[in-house]
Amino acid sequence: MLSCLGLRKDYVTERGAVAAVAGIDLQVAAGRFAAIIGRSGSGKSSLMAMIGGLSRPSAGRVVVNGTDIWDLTENELAAFRNRRIGYVFQFASLLPTLRLIDNVALPAMLNRGGNAGDTYARASALLGQMGLGDHLDAYPSEVSAGEQRRAVIARALINDPAMILADEPTSDLDEQTEIEIMDELLAVNRERGTTLILVTHNLALAEQAEQIVHIAGGEIVE
Amino acid sequence: MTADRRGLRWLLASLALQNLGRRKARSFLLIAAVAVASGVVFTGATLMRSIDRSMAVGFTRMGADMMVVSEGALTNITAALLTVEPTDLVLDADLFAKAQLTSVSRATPQKIARVEHSGIGSHHESADLIGFDPALDFTIQPWLVEKLNRELLPGDVILGAGREAPLGSQLLIFGKPHTVYGRLGKTGVGTHERGVFMSFRTLDALATSIGGHGGGSPPAALQPGKVSGFLVELAPGAAPLQARFAILSTLKGVKVVTGDSTMSGIRQGLAALLDGVLALMVLMFASTALMVCVLFSAIVTERRGELGLLKAIGARRSQIVGMMVIEAVIATGIGGALGVVLGILVMRLYERSLVYYLENVGVPFVWLDTPQMVAVAVAAIVLASVIGALGALYPAWRASRSDPYDLVRGEG
Repeated sequence: MLSCLGLRKDYVTERGAVAAVAGIDLQVAAGRFAAIIGRSGSGKSSLMAMIGGLSRPSAGRVVVNGTDIWDLTENELAAFRNRRIGYVFQFASLLPTLRLIDNVALPAMLNRGGNAGDTYARASALLGQMGLGDHLDAYPSEVSAGEQRRAVIARALINDPAMILADEPTSDLDEQTEIEIMDELLAVNRERGTTLILVTHNLALAEQAEQIVHIAGGEIVE
Repeated sequence: MTADRRGLRWLLASLALQNLGRRKARSFLLIAAVAVASGVVFTGATLMRSIDRSMAVGFTRMGADMMVVSEGALTNITAALLTVEPTDLVLDADLFAKAQLTSVSRATPQKIARVEHSGIGSHHESADLIGFDPALDFTIQPWLVEKLNRELLPGDVILGAGREAPLGSQLLIFGKPHTVYGRLGKTGVGTHERGVFMSFRTLDALATSIGGHGGGSPPAALQPGKVSGFLVELAPGAAPLQARFAILSTLKGVKVVTGDSTMSGIRQGLAALLDGVLALMVLMFASTALMVCVLFSAIVTERRGELGLLKAIGARRSQIVGMMVIEAVIATGIGGALGVVLGILVMRLYERSLVYYLENVGVPFVWLDTPQMVAVAVAAIVLASVIGALGALYPAWRASRSDPYDLVRGEG
């Protein structure tokens, strides 16, 4: 269960403080698919970053299963990001100097409980599920944008997270690839019961969600 | 350490290594800059320590800065060595002990007696018997090129380079047996080349024999409590002229003889030069650390997105810092090793002229032995790696403090 209470994010600019997120209260039940929609600059990515432990809120709380993640220590927060959250960013977010299999295995390797042999076997299986079984040793620059995005989804799943946060994951992809990537994400949500929070400005994608949160000017609008 | 943690470290290390390979030209320039700095430091440190050792050997051999003898005594002045000529004009043995001059670091007394029919060399050959106090001596023993493997004992003699006799053999002086304890190197000074050196105690034991063979009383220098002269080493920083005036105004009836003043100048100049080289080396390493720091600030800025991504997927701050530091350590470590190779090549190139120059000013050049040189090389490489680690630490630490989202957006 995810709860956001009075969540606020202010950015200081030369013209003074600007509220990207201006006090949002939000609940998302475990295992649901929620879509956050809004125009560019509406504050949806900032909201997502605070939910995922990537950006400290100016005010408010983010409570995941009873724990305010912003009360955690630096290392605890790193562990939370590592074990509980899988990220799919709006850009190709693979490390260019690592092979696809290393990229996918990396979050599990960072997780001290992991076993290297098992981790690589699981990374291999996940890449296989994403249709990248023949590209385990390929570097990101050697595969297409769609394949890179599938590898990112595989990486997001390597630690079996409770929640996938996808920030406009298909914004730079063609229509067919966009459908394929969304199918992968929806499959993860339905088959694994992983909470999926999708940030998008594509209403057609958002309509597939069980919960739609519409943001404008940093606030939720009905 | 578990295999998994080793696997993670290997993954982060290989990430660091591959990051270096991504910007080949920049990595090459970083390695080259560190190589030059390490090369200078390695060469500087090796030469400094070698010159230091050479000075320790060479300057002790050069002996005294000045000599104090009785007024009217004959003296022999060379660039390398001050020696007292045999004379009947003597000084009290406790002259310097009583005077307590602050400009004098050490003063060693010598007794010299020129004798004939001593049994040394051919029948009519005269020989200089030179007595010294082994505890105070700093002008004779440093010249020993070979000696018995024990302390100098009463009855032992040391031969000048111009005299031949096996070590440990017996030498009869006025019919009394003496053991050849050691032999001096070539000094170029007649008194030393043909001299026979011994402790005061050994020389005093010969006093009556010398007088008896000459048909009269023994030479004045062999009288108890008397010496032919003193060889003096100045206190650090003391000016020769100042010391000369201090001696002449304190001690009556003496003559002060100064050697080639360039020697004192070289000694003090080289010491100052070595201090300067050390300061230069410290500055060079500090500037290299700053350069690495600036470069890694730029690298961190360029790689904010990747660092943010690493934080987003769960990398801890220490892992982010560690990865950047490993990258810097690999580059500067390679630079350090290349610098050592560069330094060895440079020293090989200039070895001849350096050795020639130093030997020209009377300093026999003594290279560091291999284990010491290896230690300096290892220290230079380790220092280069430490500089790399320190240089990368601050930018990496700053980046690790940023929110992952700010880094990913390029604002951290």
